[in-house]
Amino acid sequence: MREPALRVFAGEYNESTHVLKGEGEKTPSYVITPLGAKVNRLFIVGVLTDVENVAQEGEMWRAHLSDPTGIYSIYAGQYQPEPAAFLSRAETPSYVAVVGKARVYEPEEGTLFVSIRPEMMKEVDAMLRDYWIVEACKHTYTRMKAMKEAMEMDPPSVYKLKELGYPSLIAEGVVEALSAYGDVDIEHYQFLIKEALAHFETGKIEYMKELGEAEEKVLEIVKKCEGEDGALWDEIVDSGEKEGMERNLVEEALASLMDKGLVYEPILGKLKTT
Amino acid sequence: MSEDLGAVIDEIMKSVEGDVSREDVESNLRKFIDYGVPVEQAKQAVIKKYGGKQAVQVVQKKLGEVEPDDRRLSFIGKIVAIDEREVEVRGEKKKIFRGLIGDETAVLPFTAWKDFGLEQGEVVRVKNASAGEWGGQPRLNFSEWTEVEKTDEQVDLIKRKPQHYDIIDLKPGLSNIEVKAKLLTMEEREVSVEGTIKKVYTGIMGDMTGKIRYTSWTDFGIREGDVVEIKGAYTKSWRGAPQLIFDENATVEKIDEDIAISEMSKKSIPIYKLVEAGGGVDVAVEGVVIEIQSGSGIIYRCPKCNRAISEGVCPVDGEVEGIPDLRIKAVVDDGTGAVNAVFNRETTEKLTEKTLEEFRGMNDGEVEEELKNLLIAHPIHVEGNALSDEYGVTLIVQDAEMVTPAVEQEREELLSKMEVME
Repeated sequence: MREPALRVFAGEYNESTHVLKGEGEKTPSYVITPLGAKVNRLFIVGVLTDVENVAQEGEMWRAHLSDPTGIYSIYAGQYQPEPAAFLSRAETPSYVAVVGKARVYEPEEGTLFVSIRPEMMKEVDAMLRDYWIVEACKHTYTRMKAMKEAMEMDPPSVYKLKELGYPSLIAEGVVEALSAYGDVDIEHYQFLIKEALAHFETGKIEYMKELGEAEEKVLEIVKKCEGEDGALWDEIVDSGEKEGMERNLVEEALASLMDKGLVYEPILGKLKTT
Repeated sequence: MSEDLGAVIDEIMKSVEGDVSREDVESNLRKFIDYGVPVEQAKQAVIKKYGGKQAVQVVQKKLGEVEPDDRRLSFIGKIVAIDEREVEVRGEKKKIFRGLIGDETAVLPFTAWKDFGLEQGEVVRVKNASAGEWGGQPRLNFSEWTEVEKTDEQVDLIKRKPQHYDIIDLKPGLSNIEVKAKLLTMEEREVSVEGTIKKVYTGIMGDMTGKIRYTSWTDFGIREGDVVEIKGAYTKSWRGAPQLIFDENATVEKIDEDIAISEMSKKSIPIYKLVEAGGGVDVAVEGVVIEIQSGSGIIYRCPKCNRAISEGVCPVDGEVEGIPDLRIKAVVDDGTGAVNAVFNRETTEKLTEKTLEEFRGMNDGEVEEELKNLLIAHPIHVEGNALSDEYGVTLIVQDAEMVTPAVEQEREELLSKMEVME
């Protein structure tokens, strides 16, 4: 059966120190994160920040991909020809989607570094990056809820979690994580999700566009009403509202115009163009 | 001394090796009991004190009380059914036995990993069994360390109550199922079973959660469009996907209510559900395309058998003049599961907004680039029938749409959910 590509934040993935090793050739291995993601394959979208060929000879590309919570390490060599080719000509920074396998490096007992061996890499736009953040938040949230339930069980049971409606993969991962790491700091992950949700690009871009348009209109209004002494603040806001702009937006636009020095306040409460 | 304690002392004497006097054991045991230690724990403590082998602490349960993950179970039950099977364990062939065991509280499936000489109808006392989980109910395991002995005790079997399922939760291999569903299609066929002609009724039924193929071996007087309640049905695998079967052992009742199937038809389900069921009828899923597989793009089909051919040679009909066709084989993944999705010419043309002819004007590399640019890492909604084999679940796409995610809305929803949680 094909292993699903989990959506896991770097902030969660990188904290993993537990691996479930598959026995025999056909059983897959998993990195178990503290919150119970049972990771064999991942799908992530983030900002490619740097790419370097770290091989003494030949090719071994190391890249870093940043998400709102941390940084993933990605290694692609000659056996990953397409991702290696992608990395050799990738520009930084850029939004990049990666499908890859979880990899671990254990230099000594008890020290574990997790990375990703890519199967596919592609440059994407800001909308897909935001979509990924929301998806990763949703998946993290589900694991967080399952973990909360499991921490109240004595002993934590895969079966009972499944009865509560959690998929096998989550139920198994959460129970495994609890036995490997002990109780989990749920609040840490709540914070992680909130941080991530504050990092939206599309929202910001749309807002900047909206604000830009509003500034132009508001500047016209000020010019129309200013006369000799300047235009009254309230009068500008009212006119803006009549033109279909939200009150908040008009005020934001005015503040922004003043910051830019296009509008000034000769007397308190009155505004003039420069 | 009460009789009970005598039996306990006997047990301790059996577990303790070497020279220990019965009097010493008794006085030690009494000391624990005087301190209010329960008899069972006192017994273990004394055994430990004399260096005896820790007796296995068994948990006596009725089958109805058994939960998955239970260990060291002890119970009495009647073998309802037993079936021998050969499996491969680490490359070695091994005989195992599967069946059902029941008492007055429940009937549970079991797997015996060695030959206990069990026979149908026997009542047995089982010590040190364990329970796992399968298909949402406990399944017992009788291992190398399990003791099974025949007894003369009588066991009255529970009349098993059928278990209600939503259609989405059905998977192959379930029994004693209860469903409430609308018969969306029905066909009557005649088949020959051991020389006699029997009528079978096949079609698709659905409830608010999903649809499933069914076969009825009995004329229950029901018709297409009826909403029915079926009790005592079971499921089999049809090309990996579940199929509901009901016969004279089932009861079917027509009920006077409607199920508005159309409302649910486009609602997507998490992919792991589809993977667990092994397939389904008219299912919808939403996920990201994470791979475009080889064999996508322009292909040629045999004019006689419609198979995909390579270099003008059909594996069945030999050298033929291939007919060009367009398809995409992709992997769609929603983070809970992954399915192979096969898009035909129509859905491919719809998604790419390019025709077969336009694709024929491009070289293979250009076609591949086009498909990857458009689809990889992009969310998509796909609908169709799904089947499974050893390589996983494959969805034959009937309709597909690129999804424009409503990120702002989803973000707001998640933020308010998080507030509730705190």
